[in-house]
Amino acid sequence: MRPSRKRIWGSDAKSLSGRGPPVNNFLEILVVGIGNGATYAMLGLGLVVIYRSTGLLNFASGELAMFSTFIVWTFWNLGFPMWLAILGGMLGGFLIGVLVHKVAVSPLGDPHERPLAVVIVTIGLFLGLNGAAQLIWGTVDKRLDPWFGVSQITVGGVAIAWQKIGAVVVLFVMVLLLWALFKFTKVGLSMRAVASNSESSALCGVSVQNMLMLGWGMAAGIGTLAGVFSAPNLGLGTNLMQLTLVFGFAAIVLGGFDSILGAVVGGFVVGILSSVVPQYITVFEKMPLAPAFILILAVLLFRPQGLFGSKDVARV
Amino acid sequence: MKSLRGVGPVQSVLWAIALVVLIVLPFTSAPFRVEQYITWMTIAVAAGGLNLLTGYNGQISVGHGALYGTGAYTVAILVTDAEWPLLPTVIAAAVVCFMVGVIIGLPALRIKGLYLALVTLAVATLFPLVIEQFSDLTGGSGGLTLTSEQLYRGSIRDRRVKWESPIDGLASDQWKYFIFLGISIVCFVVIAAIVKSRVGRSLVAIRDNETAAEVSGINVSRTKIITFGVSAGIAGIGGAMFALNKGQVNPTSFTLTLSIYLLVAVVLGGASTVIGPAIGAVIYGVFIDVIAPELPETLESATPLILGTLLVAQMLMAPSGIVGWFHDLTEKVSRRRQGGGKQDKNVDVTVTTHEVVAETDLETDPGGFHP
Repeated sequence: MRPSRKRIWGSDAKSLSGRGPPVNNFLEILVVGIGNGATYAMLGLGLVVIYRSTGLLNFASGELAMFSTFIVWTFWNLGFPMWLAILGGMLGGFLIGVLVHKVAVSPLGDPHERPLAVVIVTIGLFLGLNGAAQLIWGTVDKRLDPWFGVSQITVGGVAIAWQKIGAVVVLFVMVLLLWALFKFTKVGLSMRAVASNSESSALCGVSVQNMLMLGWGMAAGIGTLAGVFSAPNLGLGTNLMQLTLVFGFAAIVLGGFDSILGAVVGGFVVGILSSVVPQYITVFEKMPLAPAFILILAVLLFRPQGLFGSKDVARV
Repeated sequence: MKSLRGVGPVQSVLWAIALVVLIVLPFTSAPFRVEQYITWMTIAVAAGGLNLLTGYNGQISVGHGALYGTGAYTVAILVTDAEWPLLPTVIAAAVVCFMVGVIIGLPALRIKGLYLALVTLAVATLFPLVIEQFSDLTGGSGGLTLTSEQLYRGSIRDRRVKWESPIDGLASDQWKYFIFLGISIVCFVVIAAIVKSRVGRSLVAIRDNETAAEVSGINVSRTKIITFGVSAGIAGIGGAMFALNKGQVNPTSFTLTLSIYLLVAVVLGGASTVIGPAIGAVIYGVFIDVIAPELPETLESATPLILGTLLVAQMLMAPSGIVGWFHDLTEKVSRRRQGGGKQDKNVDVTVTTHEVVAETDLETDPGGFHP
């Protein structure tokens, strides 16, 4: 559970510095930032889906993503094609998410009434999933090939890895699917209803618990993709998502806890900031996490609802 | 029923046993075990500090490992670079951490509940990176070894600090054990004094209903900030003890995992009980240092899994922790003995959840665990 040196970077931005002319260098760092940002946005989407349905910040979502990425690796290692392995991992993540909600989360009741219970339970899940992954897959990092290969294209003198483009495309497809789900389907409507007023929706015949379970499952499934895109860079170990989780949180803090668009915009902003800032401010050289942290703090202090979130209305 | 606040017969027997065990333990254990006991004490102290903040005041911190680490590094730097004598550095660590805690406490006035947990989680994740960043001062990822100028073979050299027992028949590890036991007891006495004072009651009042507390004339902002400071200071003492015990500090000792374990100790033992965190720390220590190494190799890596499962199960089934559960139990027994009179029912409900609340007559949800 200790971060090794390799993972401290959280991105491969540093390895690019000092190469090529300065302008291209900046653009390349930017590209890396966008690629990382897409990953943060994916994890952020999972967090948003859970927050929207249950009002809960899921501290275990990174570990859930890590766990299901190991499932992807297992299928892939058995010789399945990558897309099938990823589907398998997403399905596995979905089932675990459903199970977690059923067993551990739903008995807790309203998360904002008992925040410590939520923190403890999700942290318990964090430990448990991490331990389970260690037990099943060992402590040696696994290698997961990039989904979109290692090749890159050069646009205007800037090398862009297909993997990064793939991450952005996958992110947008996912956002589109989520948007369509919430906008056009009965299930999506029910989920929105449960999020906005669970009692009334229960009276209208919506099964609240099933919708929440679905939310958890979906979030875990989406998180899998974040893991799949992080693993080739960082090495697939049980620490895979621990830093990414903080970046993902920073993304949704900035975007607003309940906004899908916000998670995407926030993810990209955080990705770019954490790649670019350490290049120019030497104090942050070894901690790309610091700009994200300052962002979290500043947004929570001065605009707690984020850029796109809806404001909390406190009833006295 | 006020007699419950005093020490009942069962409790006094338990206290006596605990005291005897604490004194006998270092004489019957191998030196490496004694060092482990000291580590448990450092966790207990830090968890006790965290409990003041999270258990009593309801401000959730998943970042106390960073404060523990700050305390440890303060000691290491003062001893190694500034040539301070050992024990005064503990006080310095407390002061430094108090100030850091006050600084973190300022934004915590606006950031509450789950969001504060989020920010402090980020602090915990950031801390080892900050240590690596400022490697000139902290030694970076290699860490720092505590050295001091000592007379060695006729000349003065920088050597690793060690604890020499001034008493014959007391080995150095045992001497160290008793010093740290003393510090730990002082910390817990201070915590108990705070909790039982007017300030302690205002902490609980703020946790249960901030608006009501403000209306009753409690200066909520000041109380919350100072609580953060004191809690951080105590966590810093824990870290200082850690550094002095190990003789070295390393960023890998102060990761998010540590913060999580401090929280585990608090919740497992019983949040909002004075002694709960210490019990939680000991249970955790026994689990990690004594039981886990005995397990077959395949099961050893299962310890986080077991711990995580336990934690979830405990939160769902006995959210008030071991001490809370024990209180419930003794309560039930004493009620049965008294024949379950009608009039103490009202009091009983509150007493079982939080002993402090019972005395303050604050309105509180009797069944729930109120962070």
